Amino acid sequence: MNAMNASVSEIESLRERGLLEKQFDDPVQQREAATLGMWVFLSTEIVFFGVLFASYAICRILYPQGFAAASRETDMLMGTIETAVLLTSSSLIALGVRAIKLEQRKTAVWLLAGTAALGTTFLVMHGFEYYREYTEQLIPGLNFARGGPYARAIELFFCLYYFITGFHSLHVLAGVCVIAGLALRVARGSFGSERFTTLELTALYWHLVDIVWIFVYPLLYLVGRSG
Amino acid sequence: MTATSPPSPPAHAREHEHKDPGAHITPVRHYLAVLATLLALLSLSAISALFSLGYWNTIVNLAISVIKTLLVMLFFMHETEARALTRTTSALGFIWLAILIGIMLTDFLARSLVPPPW
Amino acid sequence: MATIDADTVTDAVPRSFLNAEAGLGSWLTTHDHKRIAILYSIGITFFFFLGGIAATLIRLNLLKPSGALLNTETYNKAFTFHGVVMVWFFLIPSIPATLGNFLLPLMIGARDVAFPKLNLVSWYLYVTGGLFTICALLMGGVDTGWTFYTPFSTMFSNSNVFLVIVGVFVTGFSTIFTGLNFIVTIHNLRMPGMSWFKLPLFVWAMYAVSLVMVLATPVLAMTLALIGLERGLGVGVFDPALGGDPLLFQHLFWFYSHPAVYIMILPAMGVASEIIPCFAQRDIFGYRFMVYAMVAIAVIGFLVWGHHMFVAGMSVYAGLVFSILSFLVAVPSAIKVFNWTATLHKGTISFEAPMLYALGFVGLFMLGGMTGLMLAAPALDVPLHDTYFVIAHFHYVMVGGSVMAYLGGIHYWWPKITGKLYSEPLAKFSAILMFCGFNLTFFPQYVLGYEGMPRRYAHYAPQFQVLNVLSSAGASILAISYLLPLFYLGWSLFRGTVAGDNPWNARGLEWQTTSPPPEKNFYKPPVVQQAYAYDRPAP
Repeated sequence: MNAMNASVSEIESLRERGLLEKQFDDPVQQREAATLGMWVFLSTEIVFFGVLFASYAICRILYPQGFAAASRETDMLMGTIETAVLLTSSSLIALGVRAIKLEQRKTAVWLLAGTAALGTTFLVMHGFEYYREYTEQLIPGLNFARGGPYARAIELFFCLYYFITGFHSLHVLAGVCVIAGLALRVARGSFGSERFTTLELTALYWHLVDIVWIFVYPLLYLVGRSG
Repeated sequence: MTATSPPSPPAHAREHEHKDPGAHITPVRHYLAVLATLLALLSLSAISALFSLGYWNTIVNLAISVIKTLLVMLFFMHETEARALTRTTSALGFIWLAILIGIMLTDFLARSLVPPPW
Repeated sequence: MATIDADTVTDAVPRSFLNAEAGLGSWLTTHDHKRIAILYSIGITFFFFLGGIAATLIRLNLLKPSGALLNTETYNKAFTFHGVVMVWFFLIPSIPATLGNFLLPLMIGARDVAFPKLNLVSWYLYVTGGLFTICALLMGGVDTGWTFYTPFSTMFSNSNVFLVIVGVFVTGFSTIFTGLNFIVTIHNLRMPGMSWFKLPLFVWAMYAVSLVMVLATPVLAMTLALIGLERGLGVGVFDPALGGDPLLFQHLFWFYSHPAVYIMILPAMGVASEIIPCFAQRDIFGYRFMVYAMVAIAVIGFLVWGHHMFVAGMSVYAGLVFSILSFLVAVPSAIKVFNWTATLHKGTISFEAPMLYALGFVGLFMLGGMTGLMLAAPALDVPLHDTYFVIAHFHYVMVGGSVMAYLGGIHYWWPKITGKLYSEPLAKFSAILMFCGFNLTFFPQYVLGYEGMPRRYAHYAPQFQVLNVLSSAGASILAISYLLPLFYLGWSLFRGTVAGDNPWNARGLEWQTTSPPPEKNFYKPPVVQQAYAYDRPAP
């Protein structure tokens, strides 16, 4: 809908159908506000995770060989597949939002469900990783058992490993729940080419979760692999 | 004083006219091309990690991460069609993180150079 | 015969946002930014007095060198509680969440903020965080200091650190969402004709403070989470036994907490920039420089955090960098002080209570700011760090600055918010009493710090007693001056004279609507003018 041509009666009709909130003058203003709001929130998430990246950066600069030794204990294959899974899920949700804008509801439901499924796959794979690390005594504060000159640095690395992947996984879980719920609501007809802002914003959130992992992957899984 | 709200002004105070950023539809093949590129970069980072390149390993991996992030932000998150304000907002988080890490390093890297006299 | 108007409840009580809907439920589920502002003001006033009780205990204890009232453990909990409550539950939300929430949409000609439901969620987050903190108090308090330095907070403190951390974490998100709401509101909801450089400086202050809130508070959230995790797990990145660094905590903590003090002062500057032109009946001097200065303070304020860590073991080079940047951040603040003063020149000045508060703010902020410069020099900071000089400095800017501006703003906009006028003689008396009580309380503390009295000590060397007694005497006067407004402002709600739309002959869109405003903010669209158009009659 081109706001420049939206007449007063069209605006009133949108308000009555609950598609335009009272503080906004036209739907473009509403969508721009929602998008800006979500981007501001995403910037806060970048800074939020950034603290963990900053802690990692400092500790890695202090203990380069220790961190390399620690990274070799992570499961590189799992990590790589997890990254591929998240990247694919990002493309699925982007395609899903596109489908809704084109009123292709059934396609959108499948794409959103696929995104949620891949997100769940990511979490399950992480679960297996954690379990393996538990059996190999790599959990600081619980059963950490490593000796050698880099023992303390390895423990430091794994503190960061669990903090970072833990917070990230919580965000993935939240995303999966919301996206699955949205898939159900799309199936019930709550969204369409006139009403899709919630899906766009959720997609932005999911892409951010993907971006965080894009940085996490090489920093946790790819250090010192050639040694 | 009447009970009805005043008529909505025709347009809110926007600095300049611009098209509705939500209206544009990207073809499917663009998304798939971006995904293919992302997966190729992922393979590149994994494979290059297996070669001993010294500190270049880290630089290559971080550079690849930056490129992947830009691809996701520009194409999946539609920043190419967004207004300048949105792009600035998205950049700010990263810039602030850079400030945090950068200035912290002036402490951690320079501690042993000149110990404090106290 | 009077026509019955749908917006008139009775002839005597016109319809406004206050009586648009009745009942506690309508207040607790409101989306109206004006009602949310009032909800916040209740919480903020409550926490101010709670923190004030802690301050009372501290000042009573310091009457005697051997501690007149509290043992060391309880004293530690008292100053911790005072700091936590005053910083996170009073100062940071005070102006933005009350005056900002109420005035921002009005000042830009909007019907509400961009996300009204999120605004209500912000209030509930604030209340929830507050409840956790009160819980921590009831279960015995926290003794780490409001700064939670490691490894004491993570490994050795036996107090309820976790509860307070959760409380502050939750309240932090209240701040983040408020900032997010304000940023989008200012960008997207300005009415036609309200361009950026016609905005009142209070709106610019809300914008600058929102940027800081949004970029700084997430760092606090994660840092507190890391403390909680390290406390729970027994290991973490701040643990020296593992090669972690307690200074890493301080870097992360102060990266938030220094901008946090700018969260506290920028809105105060915005309030002063509204009051002073009104009571000098003149345009603000140097409007554009005031805008640039606020944005500069917000940005540079992020680059100076290490000045809290000069003697903590940080590298000398980092100290150099932070010192230079800290000197730099004083420049835009000074520009603002010059401009407020220049606004008075050739003005028609009157000394109503808001103006007394605003002028007090300018003077006391200036003193506090200048002593901040002294502390920004590492050579001076070495003997002054962790002494009462630092305490005096930050109380001058936070209490002499922010709190005075907050009270000035409450008085200035009281007629607009409540539709009633307060007792001007009592308010003037209160303001002057506050100025005197404040200086008597905190100026001796500069001397005490210079003479070497350390902070956060329940006992002190006997030679410091005279100044401590003076300071505590001042505190009792200050306390009275804080209680007085409760009475005469409360009285005005029931017996105050009805205020007109614009009792101060001010400029700004909020003065073009009724006092109090209707739920939808404006009965007819307001007229946008140049900001502070005091050379023309009010529209």
